[in-house]
Amino acid sequence: MMQKVKELPLVMIRKIGYSYPNGTVALKAIDLNIFKGELVGIMGKNGAGKTSLIRTLNGLIRPTYGNIFINSQNISSKSIATLSKHVGIIFQNPSHQLFANSVEEEIKFSLKSFNLPKEEIQIKIDQILQEYNLEKYRNRSPLNLSGGESKKLAIASIICRNPEILVFDEPTLGQDAKEIEFFINLITRERKNGKTIIIITHNVEFAYEYIPRTILMADGQIIADGPTKKVLNNEFLINQTSLILPQIRQFNLVLQQNKFHDVEDVLSTNEMIDYLRNYIKQKSSNV
Amino acid sequence: MSLEFLNAFKFMKKKSILHKMDPRGKLLFSIIYTISALLFTKIVPLFFIFISLIPIILLGKLFKQWIKSIKGLSFLIMFIIILNTLFISLSFAIAMIFRILIMISAFSIFFLTVDPNELALSLISMKLPYEFAFSFSLAFRFVPTIAFEAQNILDAQQSRGYEMQKKGLINQIKNLFPLLIPLIICSIKRAFNVAEALESRGFGSRKERSYYYTIKYSLKDWIFTVYLLLFLAFSIFIRIQFNIMPEFLMWSLPV
Repeated sequence: MMQKVKELPLVMIRKIGYSYPNGTVALKAIDLNIFKGELVGIMGKNGAGKTSLIRTLNGLIRPTYGNIFINSQNISSKSIATLSKHVGIIFQNPSHQLFANSVEEEIKFSLKSFNLPKEEIQIKIDQILQEYNLEKYRNRSPLNLSGGESKKLAIASIICRNPEILVFDEPTLGQDAKEIEFFINLITRERKNGKTIIIITHNVEFAYEYIPRTILMADGQIIADGPTKKVLNNEFLINQTSLILPQIRQFNLVLQQNKFHDVEDVLSTNEMIDYLRNYIKQKSSNV
Repeated sequence: MSLEFLNAFKFMKKKSILHKMDPRGKLLFSIIYTISALLFTKIVPLFFIFISLIPIILLGKLFKQWIKSIKGLSFLIMFIIILNTLFISLSFAIAMIFRILIMISAFSIFFLTVDPNELALSLISMKLPYEFAFSFSLAFRFVPTIAFEAQNILDAQQSRGYEMQKKGLINQIKNLFPLLIPLIICSIKRAFNVAEALESRGFGSRKERSYYYTIKYSLKDWIFTVYLLLFLAFSIFIRIQFNIMPEFLMWSLPV
């Protein structure tokens, strides 16, 4: 668990549990703190309770027991509409939310509940369309956009609401390298803007490279919570989920088996490149 | 709002006499009860038809799911009460509630107790071409999938400030667009995907085909059918002779 003494966590989850009406237990006694500005990954196999956990954050499902506090306020009596102003969840499938006649209308729909003056709404729309390179599609139907563009629009339609917590459900799924790069830039920018970001992902390499803290879930419980490099390099923990060790760790283990004993602490791609460069240099100077 | 009530129309394997019965008999049951409900506009006869459904629900061990389907449709029931009371009368409104309850219950029982595979077989045995029977059972099988998708769409829209409750009828209808449009688009996309998947597996390549399962109209199905036909005949008789029937059948609220 991240240690922060001075400030109170932005999200405090206290012993929450949830069972679906058919009896399936989705969450069991979850305890979790997330601080302002953090970037947190939630990983685990399908059915581990990841999506159920994030759905509790904006009231889409209400915990059967336990409490959730956002900004030190208990959210149990708050409506989804109120909570959605603080917590923006971007779901996997953008076609589940796109319905308007044009891209512009789609963004406008998201801003409706704020009762802003027309001019202000227009300024926000222009700003967000420009930011997301969607300006050229302004009058196009969202249903005619490509997969990547419609995902961008789905994200834009949540971010324009300026929630302090952004939750992404499988954002890298089905995205090409360029789109993933766009997403990485986006989360970097939003973090700089002070946003707290939670990402559900199965993409080990992505999490290993870009997410500093990872929560690992199995059977509705949190089985690990800590620095990503520590969590994802732990073979015992990884075996309890459907994940695999990061490629750099696998490479590291192969090197160790081949008598490169001092490679144990080399855990990132850049470190590995430096290590190998030094090794080659050393070898060639010996020759 | 939860769309959980759609699960009340989803087939669930259970051990009951009703579940073991032939789907054709159960289809006949749904149709006959719907026709009977449409024959009357007075409270008392519709109430009796409604009451006659209860033993069948208990026979199928479906009480919980049935209550769920009724609860889920409470909005529709309220709508019927308000409209009919405003434009006709409270008695007519109550009668119409019984009518809709009978129809929903009859089809809910059908969907809850008929396995989609058996449904296709029963339609084929009624000499319907396999393609049509298969499409029908496929549509039937997708009801829970669509319900699940509708819930996801609702969640996604609520996550960006969408609210279900809006004041005014026109606003309420307008308010359905953010749910219905994505649902229709997703369903059409899925239909194309399913069609491609079926064709890639050689669907319809041979005219004649064999079946792994078979269905048989047994004695209990015949007994049920005879009961249904008698029930229909009795309902029609009462409807035709309604004017000379005992007065209590025509009872309505004094308001």
